[in-house]
Amino acid sequence: MSSVILKNLKKSFGAVGVIKGIDLLIEPGEFCVFVGPSGCGKSTLLRLIAGLEEASSGVIEIAGREVTDAEPSERGIAMVFQSYALYPHLTVRENIGFGLSLARLPKAEIAAKVQAAAEILQLGPLLDRKPKALSGGQRQRVAIGRAMVRDPKVFLLDEPLSNLDAALRAQMRMELTDLHRKLGATMIYVTHDQVEAMTMADKIVVLNGGRIEQVGSPMELYNAPVSPFVAGFIGSPKMNLVPRDGGTFGIRPEHLDLSTSAGLWEGTVRHVERLGAESILYLATQEMGELTIRIQGQDCPALGARAFATPQPGRAFHFQAA
Amino acid sequence: MKPHQRNAGLAALAVAFVVFILPFLFTFLMAVKTKKEAALFLFSWPSEWQFWANLTEVVKARNYMLLLAYFNSTLITLAAVSGLVVMGAMVGYVLQRRASGWNRLIYAGVLMGLMVPPAVVPTIWVLQGLGLFKTIHGMVLIQIAYGLSFSILLYRSFIGTIPRDLDEAARIDGARPWEIFFRVILPLLKPVTVTLIVVQSIAIFNDFTNPLYYLPGKENVTVQLTLFNFQTQFQSQFNLLFMNILLVTIPPLLVFIFFNRQIVAGMTAGGVKG
Repeated sequence: MSSVILKNLKKSFGAVGVIKGIDLLIEPGEFCVFVGPSGCGKSTLLRLIAGLEEASSGVIEIAGREVTDAEPSERGIAMVFQSYALYPHLTVRENIGFGLSLARLPKAEIAAKVQAAAEILQLGPLLDRKPKALSGGQRQRVAIGRAMVRDPKVFLLDEPLSNLDAALRAQMRMELTDLHRKLGATMIYVTHDQVEAMTMADKIVVLNGGRIEQVGSPMELYNAPVSPFVAGFIGSPKMNLVPRDGGTFGIRPEHLDLSTSAGLWEGTVRHVERLGAESILYLATQEMGELTIRIQGQDCPALGARAFATPQPGRAFHFQAA
Repeated sequence: MKPHQRNAGLAALAVAFVVFILPFLFTFLMAVKTKKEAALFLFSWPSEWQFWANLTEVVKARNYMLLLAYFNSTLITLAAVSGLVVMGAMVGYVLQRRASGWNRLIYAGVLMGLMVPPAVVPTIWVLQGLGLFKTIHGMVLIQIAYGLSFSILLYRSFIGTIPRDLDEAARIDGARPWEIFFRVILPLLKPVTVTLIVVQSIAIFNDFTNPLYYLPGKENVTVQLTLFNFQTQFQSQFNLLFMNILLVTIPPLLVFIFFNRQIVAGMTAGGVKG
């Protein structure tokens, strides 16, 4: 179990600054998720930690050792790629053991380690197959197995679930969380999916334009976002954000009460999405623009009907303009 | 199949027959005729089959020169093709993967190698200066130099289709640059390597002019040059000449048949994404 410390880390490609000064402490054994819209620098930040990109300035420490200029293989990290990056010409067994065979470990030791990893990931019967004979989820597990046998201090995962279908993604989320608990290793996970961030993370780092917007546990970010950006990014459907008094007023869809008779803001129902257990309703109001409202069950006013929305007390946010 | 489709197919077969099979048939028929009959140059059935007699005479001609020529040609082909594969793949890899200011210049040089025709006399001067003229290894280097541009371009574009993630995964696994190349990239280049082996080995084995210019000397003879044995200013033995042609055609044919079945497309399919 090892900590990762970033001090004033910067990276620019030519004149374009991609990472503009990041200070971050990731505690030993923590599951830390980097989240943000595409182009926010989250993948670049991960590649800086991995050593696949050279930092323009700043310091990276892994397990108390400065590794800013070290080779990737000397940093004690392992990485799982979005594309899995399995070697197509090698079997699953050889893929998992590749790093060990490069390190010239004895054959018996490699076999034992590969077997151990295969057991944890339930890859036993697939060991002699080539990657092309595996399903997406199986390839994913092989990629994780390849990372595991290196016994890394820190796991780096770059959008590992984004190529899987929705059902498999939910299952792999659970498996990854289990694995993290079992191994107890520090994991850094990059995603653009706020559901993955919310469900898996101990600590979420929200990135925007190469800077850290906010760091905190999932519930801290949900309950106390520091900026409209974080407020809009965490939670689904997105928080209603309305410019007001030189700042921004925010209220989450689940914190608006709907009534057909009376309320604070009057409007007409523009669109309804029924999901079964809940429904999402879009209300076009004079005062607040379009509001998204989440209500329990399937009972909602018809399209074009008049309705009123009222914020629940103490749930609204006021963000001052920076 | 519709009638016009069938007719088009038959027409294509007929054209292929005329272009590919007829010359071969003509060569074969000439090769088994007697000297007198062959001199008539007719597309006719031989009146007397001289297959074995012609064959042994061609092999024995000028103290078994054909066997020496087979040995020399095979040696040159193997060495040159190995050099082309290893060097072409290495240069192609570095050109594709490592961005540097020199890349454009190097690329222009490679393209120039493809476009500018080699000049014979200056090449001979260079070879003489280096002490490589009239040597087998000098000939190997010539063949590598002539084929390298093509093989670099072929490899460079193919390596472009191999995802960089594989290089990076290997780097994280602790592979040094040469290990990334030999253990991850080179095995994935099999389809293009097979293509290169087929194309280049046939071209080099069948090369007539370059050995003629750069590799004179009886002990340096290559297979194509043995054809001179039976065609001189004053006398031509066409039956033996054609038998010789038949014999030197066989090795490239075998290479083609053998490797053609090995061309496996889509080696990289499945390694990345799904």
